[in-house]
Amino acid sequence: MEMDRGMRQVPETDRAPAGAAVADDPKTIDPEGVDWLRVHPDYVKVRIFGVLIGAVVWLIITSIPLVLRSTGVWGGYPEWLAWLLPGLALLWSLIDLFVTNRRVRAIGYAERDDDLLVRQGILFKKVLVVPYGRMQYVDVQMGPVDRAFGLCKVQLHTAASDVTATIPGVTADEGARLREQLSARGEARLAGL
Amino acid sequence: MSQDQPNPDDDGAAPVEAAPRSPEDFHEEAPWHRVHPVSPFVRGWLVIVALVYGFGQNWLQNLIPGFGGDDGDSSKDAEFLNFIFESVAWVIAGGLLVLLLILGGFYLSWKMTRYQLTDRHVNVRSGIVFRQQRQARIDRVQAIDIVQPLIARIFGLAELKFEVADGGSTAMKLAFLKLPAAKELRGAILARAAGLRAEAAGDGPRPGATAPAATDGTAAPDAVVQDAPVAPENVLVRVPPGRLIASIVLSPAVWIAVIVLGVGLAVQFATDGAFLMVYLLPGLFGFVPWIWGLFNNGYNFAAAVSPDGLRLSYGLLDTRHQTVPPGRIQAVQVRQGVIWRLMGWHKIVINVAGYGASADGGETRSTVLPVGTRADVLNILSIVLPNPGTDRPLELVEAGIAGSGGAEGFTTTPRSARLLSPLAWRRQGFTVTESAVFSRYGFLLRYLDIVPHERTQGISLVQGPLARAASVCSVRMMTTDGPVSPYIVQAASPVARRFFLEQSARAARARAAHDHNHWLDDDPYGTGVAQLPVAQQAMSAGATEDPARGAAPAPNQHERDNQHD
Repeated sequence: MEMDRGMRQVPETDRAPAGAAVADDPKTIDPEGVDWLRVHPDYVKVRIFGVLIGAVVWLIITSIPLVLRSTGVWGGYPEWLAWLLPGLALLWSLIDLFVTNRRVRAIGYAERDDDLLVRQGILFKKVLVVPYGRMQYVDVQMGPVDRAFGLCKVQLHTAASDVTATIPGVTADEGARLREQLSARGEARLAGL
Repeated sequence: MSQDQPNPDDDGAAPVEAAPRSPEDFHEEAPWHRVHPVSPFVRGWLVIVALVYGFGQNWLQNLIPGFGGDDGDSSKDAEFLNFIFESVAWVIAGGLLVLLLILGGFYLSWKMTRYQLTDRHVNVRSGIVFRQQRQARIDRVQAIDIVQPLIARIFGLAELKFEVADGGSTAMKLAFLKLPAAKELRGAILARAAGLRAEAAGDGPRPGATAPAATDGTAAPDAVVQDAPVAPENVLVRVPPGRLIASIVLSPAVWIAVIVLGVGLAVQFATDGAFLMVYLLPGLFGFVPWIWGLFNNGYNFAAAVSPDGLRLSYGLLDTRHQTVPPGRIQAVQVRQGVIWRLMGWHKIVINVAGYGASADGGETRSTVLPVGTRADVLNILSIVLPNPGTDRPLELVEAGIAGSGGAEGFTTTPRSARLLSPLAWRRQGFTVTESAVFSRYGFLLRYLDIVPHERTQGISLVQGPLARAASVCSVRMMTTDGPVSPYIVQAASPVARRFFLEQSARAARARAAHDHNHWLDDDPYGTGVAQLPVAQQAMSAGATEDPARGAAPAPNQHERDNQHD
């Protein structure tokens, strides 16, 4: 027991001397004691659909030199370059596709008594908290792909234009519940600017 | 053309107003006023100048070929004179017609522009073809500016600008009023906003509660405006012109221009004139408006404290008087560049809802100190941050501006992140007082960001892969749009996580403790200021001028402080 604790503390104090005792992992940015609600699994499909469309667009754009060269319109550049561009686009799209699932699983939100927390990101992580009293209005959006899966996106706007807590990929029912809940809580705790 | 507009207006303005639909509307009935009749000219003088110029030029062009013609021939001379007279007649007729149309438009636009000050709202109606009605809630007023463009200044007129929060698009303008009238109106609006008029506004529109206001308003409609005294103000900071000019000479605007010029000249000599300096000139001329703007807007800068809040006035050709009520300041930033540090100068900018995104000089309007010494900084901070929430405000600000390490309770970037910020890591840090978060960062260009707890709109933690490797993350505190985006740079992750949760709770608590919509009701301004000695003097001086406003808030503040403890 004693040894166990001692062994664990050495690397931590090494990395983060201040306040390391509080946290298990000095690297994470998820606040302690928050139960995250995850978005609906179907949202992965929505995102994959988006990634595929993006991939097609990028492939078409980056293939222009290749097409020009193979049709003999203009070939003033080496052949490897013409192949490299769409190759890179393809590679990037594949990576994107590969991490989409993890990206979606990284999205989470938590309604606490006084505030809403939203987290996202795997490489560049971000956690946002917005007190309900700061909320100006709630937005529920549903795009065509979202609708096909019965999902929607909930946005909470504040007076600061860059603070928009966005919860994508929740079911329409959950979206409606969130909207009502957030509005009610915002009303109850409403303050001026 | 009579002296000023707060006269209960002449013609059928009030009857035009729709009949009151409910008791709530009834007490809103107040006289409608018009802006000064010269206003459209002041706004539209450019149109007239352009018109005259256009016609004049056209006419001259018609004349000049005639002049170029042969001289001496008498018959041709007569023909030419005829032509001139004819063209003159036409030009004059056409010009007069257009002028009449424009004057008619001006008259209509003046006739159609009306405003009304009620207990809770300012209403403005304007527009000839497309009628516009705007209503602004007085208890939401974020700031009031009195602006005098050069032309308006010549006529002794001023524009009243009224910011009502929400992203900066909702400014309400009254252009133009006589300057004393504009000041009076500002005083009336601020007095209402401060809750002096009626607690009814704070309690919501209950007919019973508002009945006294109604009788008051109808009995002596314009007495209301005259009642409100113009709040006394005490100038705490002035920027002498010499310092302003020196600061501009030492500012990046000038450095960049000089560097560009120097490099251009060097290249020109090195290439033996193959490179033409001339190409750089337009770019260099681009600096002129920038530098001129710094001078024009910093000239005669004075910051004053009054019971209505912070007062700023500045300007060489165009002058501007700003009033920011207490509790309307969302965030504060003290900046100091390398060269300014040698001179001991600082700049302070603030975020005020409505100032940020506005088109005309957002940064200029947000500057509460263009260049000032450390003493000036403390004076300004005493106004914009009346309650620093600590017993040692001077030491705290000193540590925030110039300090590094853990003095005065600052938590700095851990050693693990020293490679990410090799120079600044000892300095980067934050501390939390009872009322605000102080965050400092920057090694060459020093920053100190201050956000009152109750003004926090949201907080986010961000962490990239490098920061993760170093076990740190950065914290952004969200405020309304403006030049300040408060930032805690590279705090140790566990510290930042704890701060994140605690700050959110603190923000919620602070907000619940006081709503600033009526600042004299719940957040008496005066004594908060008194936490810094200079401001205390200012406030007591204010009290001697007007005992009712200056002295009254004092006891309340103590009550509130006790509640906090």
